[in-house]
Amino acid sequence: MNEPAAIWPLPIRIAHWLSAALVISLLVLGAVMVFAVADPARRFELTQIHKPLGILALIFTGARACCRLCSSAPKIALTSRPAVLAAKAAHLALYLLLFLMPLSGWLMVTSTPIRIPVTLFGFVDLPFPLAPDLATYNAARTTHLVLSIALALMVVVHTGAAMVHQFLWRDGTLTRMWGLGRSPDPRC
Amino acid sequence: MLWLPHSGHAANRSQSWRIDEAQTSIAFKIDAVGFPTTHGHFGHYTGKILIDFDRPAKSFTNFTVDATSVDVGAASFNDFVKSRALLNVERFPTMAFASTQVEKLDAHTARVIGNLTMLGVSRPLTLTVDVETNAANQENAVSFTAKGTIVRSEFGMTFGIPLIDDAIEITVKTRALNDE
Repeated sequence: MNEPAAIWPLPIRIAHWLSAALVISLLVLGAVMVFAVADPARRFELTQIHKPLGILALIFTGARACCRLCSSAPKIALTSRPAVLAAKAAHLALYLLLFLMPLSGWLMVTSTPIRIPVTLFGFVDLPFPLAPDLATYNAARTTHLVLSIALALMVVVHTGAAMVHQFLWRDGTLTRMWGLGRSPDPRC
Repeated sequence: MLWLPHSGHAANRSQSWRIDEAQTSIAFKIDAVGFPTTHGHFGHYTGKILIDFDRPAKSFTNFTVDATSVDVGAASFNDFVKSRALLNVERFPTMAFASTQVEKLDAHTARVIGNLTMLGVSRPLTLTVDVETNAANQENAVSFTAKGTIVRSEFGMTFGIPLIDDAIEITVKTRALNDE
């Protein structure tokens, strides 16, 4: 039986860090545009930037999840069963939030009575599959807000755990994602 | 548009006054739920002001506004306001107001009733106008501040109601010069 690789495959690592940058940018942008920007024109501009970036995050997460499913995880440093379960649950929650955040955002823009066209990356119009409905929009808006708080908390937990692995336990877990090298899994 | 609030003026017939473009703004504001109040203005317009000092009711004004000159503070926001959902400037590039009735309320206030044509629909619009004269130069310059509320659904602009208010407050400031 082969030993698990020491690090994640290169595509997974690239996707992780790009996704991290994108998700943190989206969380900050979302919070700033809603809570800090009082100028309507700036608010409009930032919201119109937030939407295609959110869709990009959704596409990214989809591609990343496919890639994740077809790769084998590198060896895990955790030994206690509760710690392994907690790590798995946290990662599952992160993946779930990464899907649900953009989906709830999309539900907002498709159900709002203030339907504003969104052009993705300069050439594709974002489809609006649902008819505008105020109740659906309000529910989607609340969901998006609650999920954004949950995702921000999970990002903090995830980063905190990485720091603990790296600086307290020194078990090389961060290196699995940070390490530069050739992809050990040719399937991805 | 109106009259000077003193009598015995030499210009006693409806006389056309020049609009001082540097002192003119055609502005609006509209509220929406969960969004800051949007303030905007139109940069291009043509207008006419006739003032009859002796018979204020004979005064007249009209303005034609270039809808494509709307400015709400950002290019992408302007494009959205100009789109079919709101001003539909491709189909309706201008909006127009023409007074039908001018009524003096007091020495500094008037009511101007007229027709506003927007999105191809004409509806009556009532404006309350503050008249301001400069004591030193009252025969040659009069400033007006006209305020009114447009109920946009009456013109078929129903987009976003009720999240975006149906009412649009408009404020037209202008100065008429008699410098011929």
